[in-house]
Amino acid sequence: MNTLPTLLLARFRRDRLQIIVWLALFALLEVVGHAAVTETYGDEAERTSVIKLVIMSPAILMLRGTPQGTDPDAFQFFLLFGFLGLMIGLMMTFLAVRHTRGDEEAGRAELVGSTPAGRIAPLLATALEGVILSVAVGAIMGGVAWAYGADASGALLYGAAMSAVGIAYLGVGLACAQLMRTSRGANGLAAAIVTLGYALRAMGDATGTVQPDGLSMEPGWWSWLSPIGWGQAVAPYTHQLAWPLLLCLGLGVVLFGLSAWLQSSRDLDSSIIPDRPGRVHAPLSLSGPIGLVWRTLRNPVIGWVIGGVLFGLVLGAVGQTVVDLVNTPDGEEAGAAISDTLASLAGPNAEGGLIDLFTTGLFGLVGALAAVGGVQAVMRARQDEAGGTAELVLAAPVSRFRWFSAYLLIGAVSVAAVLAFAVLGAFVGLIGSPDAGARMSTVAEAGLAQLPAGLVIVAVAALVFALVPRASIALGWAVLLVAIVLGQFGGLFGFPEWLRDVSPFSHTPIVTAETIDWTAAWVMAGIAVVVAAGATALVRRRDLALGG
Amino acid sequence: MNTVIETRGLEKRFGRVRALDGLDLSVEAGEVHGFLGPNGAGKSTTIRVLLGLIRSSGGEATLFGRDPWRDAVALHRRIAYVPGDVNLWSNLSGGESIDLLTRLRGGTTDKRAYAARREHLAEVFQFDPSKKGRTYSKGNRQKVALIAALATPADLYILDEPTSGLDPLMEAVFRQEIAALLGDGATVLLSSHILSEVEHLCDRVSIIRAGRTVETGTLAELRHLTRTEISFAGDGLDPAGFATIPGAHDLAVDGARVRFTADSDAMPEVLAALGRLRATGVTVNPPSLEELFMRHYHDELDEPARSSLEGVR
Repeated sequence: MNTLPTLLLARFRRDRLQIIVWLALFALLEVVGHAAVTETYGDEAERTSVIKLVIMSPAILMLRGTPQGTDPDAFQFFLLFGFLGLMIGLMMTFLAVRHTRGDEEAGRAELVGSTPAGRIAPLLATALEGVILSVAVGAIMGGVAWAYGADASGALLYGAAMSAVGIAYLGVGLACAQLMRTSRGANGLAAAIVTLGYALRAMGDATGTVQPDGLSMEPGWWSWLSPIGWGQAVAPYTHQLAWPLLLCLGLGVVLFGLSAWLQSSRDLDSSIIPDRPGRVHAPLSLSGPIGLVWRTLRNPVIGWVIGGVLFGLVLGAVGQTVVDLVNTPDGEEAGAAISDTLASLAGPNAEGGLIDLFTTGLFGLVGALAAVGGVQAVMRARQDEAGGTAELVLAAPVSRFRWFSAYLLIGAVSVAAVLAFAVLGAFVGLIGSPDAGARMSTVAEAGLAQLPAGLVIVAVAALVFALVPRASIALGWAVLLVAIVLGQFGGLFGFPEWLRDVSPFSHTPIVTAETIDWTAAWVMAGIAVVVAAGATALVRRRDLALGG
Repeated sequence: MNTVIETRGLEKRFGRVRALDGLDLSVEAGEVHGFLGPNGAGKSTTIRVLLGLIRSSGGEATLFGRDPWRDAVALHRRIAYVPGDVNLWSNLSGGESIDLLTRLRGGTTDKRAYAARREHLAEVFQFDPSKKGRTYSKGNRQKVALIAALATPADLYILDEPTSGLDPLMEAVFRQEIAALLGDGATVLLSSHILSEVEHLCDRVSIIRAGRTVETGTLAELRHLTRTEISFAGDGLDPAGFATIPGAHDLAVDGARVRFTADSDAMPEVLAALGRLRATGVTVNPPSLEELFMRHYHDELDEPARSSLEGVR
């Protein structure tokens, strides 16, 4: 009896919701990408000036890729492919780990392995699911590009490059699942490898050489160490190289073969890299709710802080380029387009110089990033309540107040830390730029201005947790998402002002104004304190809502 | 003031579901009180009310004479708790979880005594404290909670089906450790549906069903409520003589065996009558808690079977 179709169908069924979300996300990004290119960089002159500017700016090259001329499809490929490669890489490694090491850790692999499916069929089914989904993502991306007017051979190669990067990282995920004992460890290693691939191609793109036409670049050798770099090398709308696809497919096949060999020769529940034994005794820092919550959230908070630092660095370094742009004669047009976008990000009544608009606009994004970390801390309270560990803590002489305020404290500290480190990163990025002192004070004010809105979001998430614990995870993230969309992007989307005012981010003080009005910041800080105190009081009064 | 736990008419509603429906429970200082009932009878709900994790909807509950909801923190200083379903922090090792729980209870003031006690418990329960929480089996997670609860002294131990994941050897270790606690005058509320465990350990027992107490008393008192089962070989005996056995109930001749039940206090007369009959092959099954338990839940067991049959028709 062939068990493969059964296993494959079971995987698709289990992932059905995730698959829809991922595919919709890729389709949306592709559509939005095309719309943005036609809107913002509609004519060739605009694209030419932007590319000339970008070639001078390693920071933008790192984030995007190397430009390949002014063809609109090639322009979009340059803007988006690196990021899309990172996304499909994460999608595929998570998928691979979930159905291999994840199942093994949860004991499901044991159950399946006791049937005629044996050891290899589940692995093969996982690989097949990954290949099918990689091809589906490639088909969607290529199809959308084609529908937007890309030529057929270019669109086909573009889709193929996406799929090939996906298949390469599928192999990485499968191999990581063999190496590590826990799915957490395997996901961590795989995500690190995907990020490394993104970083290597960033190095390659930043160190690329400008071609004689002055509008395209050849990436540096670093890019050849990264599957995303291979995908970029396909250059589907210009050079149309097919052979780098073979590098991706080859890596995928070799890593699948290695995983299959390891899978068939190792014991169930064993791994190539053994799980580190834990400490036998708890460190002194682990003595109360704050230490405990910090221990659980330490790694994600550090991750958000690193994100803030990198964002700040790029922001500081790129700000310099923007200044240069405005000062060059053919940069004016692109400068106008960018400043429109930035003004709408900065806030409804933003005014001031381009460089300051730039800072404020991008610090809005840092504020959103910081709020994500803060909400995550409050949502952890719900996970601990549902998971049963809160019961253990609250059955000890720990008051509800002491228990819940630990999550609020770590959440607030996380928001502040992400902003503070983004400011520090921007300081470093600004070193050497003209007028650095004034820029730094604007950056510091922009960072501080984002704090109250982030705290309000954390407090509202806490209130949601207190009032409707069972729905709080979905609702808490929804609150954050709505606040970010209305507050930070409301201008870009052209929402009416009253709707944008719902979001605390819309009330963040505008630091580019002549005199900064901090009233709204104080009001929001007050609201955050009152709402958080109310939430804590309500947590004290309600039943512990276990499970579900 | 020797009553440690006292509830009267305790109620807890979750929406329209009555999880507790007038539960009475009284636990005296220094006793091991068995808290018996099938799954879903309300044992864990009662315990969570007693710990102030959820609030009762009606009735009274006191611990050491105080309100378990309002005075939760102060009361928890005197309580050690083992949940029925132990969930641990996935990124902490077992040893770290034990230390953390003990520190939360303020039990590490005497560091040396705690370290020695922890080591002893890890050894008798054969527990490896260096593994991460997510890799422990159910039994090992339960050991974490048990070791943390037993590692520092408490006035009241609330144990919710503490041995449901343990093997028989570990159950025996558990019984020894509980017996040791009693020497120190501790009180234990032991919820269980394993009757042998309760018969071994408990002084008094409360049996609950559908959120209500149906029996409570010492084991001897409860045994009184059940009848002893007797049977003997009926070959060659005059059936007319069977009627002369005093206090015999439900007498039936089943092939070559004669079976009947008798009240426990009627046993001397019953044995004398059996002697007069010259009965052979006599078996006497003493009253068990199990029988009592089964009797209380008998119709509950029957009902679903009947309704599912009706469903078929």
